[in-house]
Amino acid sequence: MENLKIEATKYTPEIDFDVVNGALNITGKSYPENTFEYYKPIVEWIKEYMTVIDNDRKITVNLDLEYLNSSSLKAYFDLFDILEASHNNGKNILINWIFDEENDIAEETGEDFIEDFTSLNIKLVVKD
Amino acid sequence: MSDDKLLDDLSTLKESFISTIDKLTKDLKRSQKIMDRSDRQQRKEYDELQVQFEEVEKLQKEIEETQREVVFTMGSIAESRSKETGNHVRRVAEYTYLFAKYIGLPAKECEMLKQASPMHDIGKVAIPDAVLNKPGRFNEEERKIMDTHAQLGYDMLQSSTRPLLKMAATVAYEHHEKWNGKGYPNQLAGEEIHIYGRITALADVFDALGSARVYKPAWDDERIFKMFKEERGEHFDPQLIDIFFDNLDEFLVIRDTMKDIA
Repeated sequence: MENLKIEATKYTPEIDFDVVNGALNITGKSYPENTFEYYKPIVEWIKEYMTVIDNDRKITVNLDLEYLNSSSLKAYFDLFDILEASHNNGKNILINWIFDEENDIAEETGEDFIEDFTSLNIKLVVKD
Repeated sequence: MSDDKLLDDLSTLKESFISTIDKLTKDLKRSQKIMDRSDRQQRKEYDELQVQFEEVEKLQKEIEETQREVVFTMGSIAESRSKETGNHVRRVAEYTYLFAKYIGLPAKECEMLKQASPMHDIGKVAIPDAVLNKPGRFNEEERKIMDTHAQLGYDMLQSSTRPLLKMAATVAYEHHEKWNGKGYPNQLAGEEIHIYGRITALADVFDALGSARVYKPAWDDERIFKMFKEERGEHFDPQLIDIFFDNLDEFLVIRDTMKDIA
């Protein structure tokens, strides 16, 4: 399986998924024209990754998203569904929800995820 | 079909029904959550946008105000050096606005001309004091030096990219041209002279004639009006002379309310 790397654009975040070290990093803003199309290959990659990776391998998902439009927010809820299912299948997943101290919306969004996905290990991380 | 089989089927149906309802409920709750979050985000964004708009508007006003002040001060400097009163440029500004309005220039252009016309004599700052402030009449050589102020004013302003200063450059350059082609510096005639130049020429002369100067008393109205009628189509654009007489009251109100303080 290959790493997934997508450069950031004005409307989409940078995607940097590393198969070997198990780091899945998404950084930036997300308000694409067609959110579903944009996230489709990313979700596909994660689904496949979860089938090939060993259960004892540690997976760290770093989400540093300063801006999400509503359809992107929906996409992340769907992504968390997949992560939750993988977790329930025995995967070792840590999610870091990274945000700027002044970004209240991002902080509250992270709190929403924690509230909705109680079984997942989600950490709120304030940026330096 | 046996009752057992029916019960089994019903039980399966019930489970599937419950799980579908659960999923629907979950999806609905999630949609609600996403919408709430988006609403809050939008409200925040819109609040910020409005603050930014206000800020931009304030800055815009500030820029315009500063520009007005700078332009006006430049005009005043030119006037003060030639011993004229600060109110001269104020009145010329108002007269040019009236002419511009009645000749049918767009409102924005009228407002701009009102701001640009006070700079018509800015070139005078480059005229030597000995000539500029000479009491009595100029000799031919001094007159020539004085007349360079139109070109000098143009040279000072023409390199600017600001529309207002470009307009002021035109005004400075052409406000001594005459309709009959006997003005200076380029002996332009008729509509070759920009409307800004034609307007400012008439406004400037009207105010200068009606004001007392070191070298002459103020002319009375009868004399001014007679001269304007004689110079209609000579010194001045005939259409502007007509506008002047058609709206005389308004011009006189400006003169009266902005009188020089003795």
